[in-house]
Amino acid sequence: MKRRQFIVMAGIGTGLLILPPALYIASPSLRKYAGKLIREELQYLKLEPAGVDQYVNDYFNTSANNAMTNLRWKAFYYLGVNAERSGQIFELIKFYLLSTDFFIHKMDESKTVNYLGFYSPYKSPVPNPYSFLLYPQTD
Amino acid sequence: MKYNYYDLIVAGTGFASTFFLKKYLDKNKGGKRVLVLEKGQLFPHAERLKIKRGEHSDFSGINDVWEEKVININKEKKWPFTTGFGGSSNCWWGCTPRFMPSDFKMKTLFGVENDWPVSYEELDPYYEEAEVLMSISGPEGTPFPRKGKYPLPPHTFTAVDKILHQKYGNLYISQPTARASRAVQGGRNACMTHSACDVCAVDAKFTIENSNINVYNNEQVELVYGAEVYSLETVGNVAKKVNYVKDGKDFQISGEVIILGANPIFNANILLNSGDKNPFTGKGFGEQLGMQVLIYLDNMNNKGGSTWVNANGYMLYDGDHRKDYAACLIEVNNAPYNIRLERGKWLNMASFRMIFEDLPLLTNYITTSANKLVPEIHFKGRSDYAIKGVENMKKVLPGILSCLPVEKLKYLDPFPNEGHIIGGTRMGQSAADSVVDKNMIHHQYRNVFVLGSGSFTTFSASNPTLTLAALSLYSADHSF
Repeated sequence: MKRRQFIVMAGIGTGLLILPPALYIASPSLRKYAGKLIREELQYLKLEPAGVDQYVNDYFNTSANNAMTNLRWKAFYYLGVNAERSGQIFELIKFYLLSTDFFIHKMDESKTVNYLGFYSPYKSPVPNPYSFLLYPQTD
Repeated sequence: MKYNYYDLIVAGTGFASTFFLKKYLDKNKGGKRVLVLEKGQLFPHAERLKIKRGEHSDFSGINDVWEEKVININKEKKWPFTTGFGGSSNCWWGCTPRFMPSDFKMKTLFGVENDWPVSYEELDPYYEEAEVLMSISGPEGTPFPRKGKYPLPPHTFTAVDKILHQKYGNLYISQPTARASRAVQGGRNACMTHSACDVCAVDAKFTIENSNINVYNNEQVELVYGAEVYSLETVGNVAKKVNYVKDGKDFQISGEVIILGANPIFNANILLNSGDKNPFTGKGFGEQLGMQVLIYLDNMNNKGGSTWVNANGYMLYDGDHRKDYAACLIEVNNAPYNIRLERGKWLNMASFRMIFEDLPLLTNYITTSANKLVPEIHFKGRSDYAIKGVENMKKVLPGILSCLPVEKLKYLDPFPNEGHIIGGTRMGQSAADSVVDKNMIHHQYRNVFVLGSGSFTTFSASNPTLTLAALSLYSADHSF
């Protein structure tokens, strides 16, 4: 097993991380890596830049915001983990899209994706992306 | 208390008690003294919404943590429930398919467990009455016999639903549900597909609070909150008094007829604390087994659907296989939003929850504990009957879905709970095989009714709430 694979499996699979301290001490902003992951995963979409940063701030302000959480996101970025391999990245990106007008615009890649506010079924203007509210019956 | 003796004393304000009282009060238009003892408090939907929105609510301190109300020996198995006014109507998902006729005849048709002492045909008019009271949305054709239209039109099919309905007809239907497809006169709104059914964001789901059934403001009824019933005082084969705790103090109240309408865990605890020696009391407790299957679709999106559980599939439900393994009801989920993070494939997915019946095993049971208010739950595990049902489903599901462009199927692990607590006070012919009779009257204590899904003889694969509501209507109609 390659060392890189081992770190991914041992660290992310168990929530524990084996990283050199310099890797995170030197970083200007830990949250930045979550934003980088979103931009890389959705590189083919036109994401409103400030909206991504605001979403990441809201995401970490509403979830567990501690050193281990931030470390985990940094590891995801440096170790090349993507949404397909990590449920946490999947959730980060899924909730980003639910927090934007992407589904309201029916997944139109030509339109800029704007952040509308952190997703909540009790507050957000974004309906169920599958629902008849976006795709009324024609038959 | 207004009186020291009541004609009827009811424990609990959930579905079982409410539908029983509805019929009882319809038949007794005046002069009765009815006392209702509710373990919890009224926790209004509007206040629940405030908390969900992160707003201040004076109700935020209410303790509704189920783990603190029972001793759950098997920590891997969960039993979430809600106490307080309206019981589990405050957290249910509003799924209301009827049981299939075969569910009542498991012994006769499949040689499994026992037949129910009541038949589908006997329950049919009470099913219909419950469906009207809940303003159920549903389709015209169903796999179970049913006359006429549901009160509200069905929810909208997804693209996948349309294909499966075309292939399987009435074995694949828009789910009958208490999540209203249209606004209901009296206050409920139409479902807006928010994917937040436990506390509906627009109050579309039927609850006891929004029901307009009006039993608790009937002038014959006295409702007391914070009254935790823990046992009955019996003399011979008659229950004379109800024992309860309120504000930390013990009380007793006398009554002619006692109705236990708490959930199956607490109904069993009350009977066991009362000295009930029936060998089945507390035994055969459990629930259905649920697991999720994600269906990745090739070049096909699944848009256009409506509410959380959009459809029901019965392709794995009935048949001779039930001699060997469990029936499976397919719940077709339009939520939570299982989107794909792959360019152009965002909505190329369907999500099925497969629900398997289980058996009332004697190894799964409720006992009392050192604390008279806190029952103890012992759950050793699932039956081979249910496990074989899961194995068979995995073998045949690809064939069932062959009319769809399936890219791959992903089976998730079974859920730790299904939210359908069943058994513990089963219904049957006599005390030799059960705790209560077909009217849910205790075989020994003939003035004690033990309502709810605890009385189910077998579990079925269908959601239990509509059936337990119909049973309450049936019981009150045939007993008074």
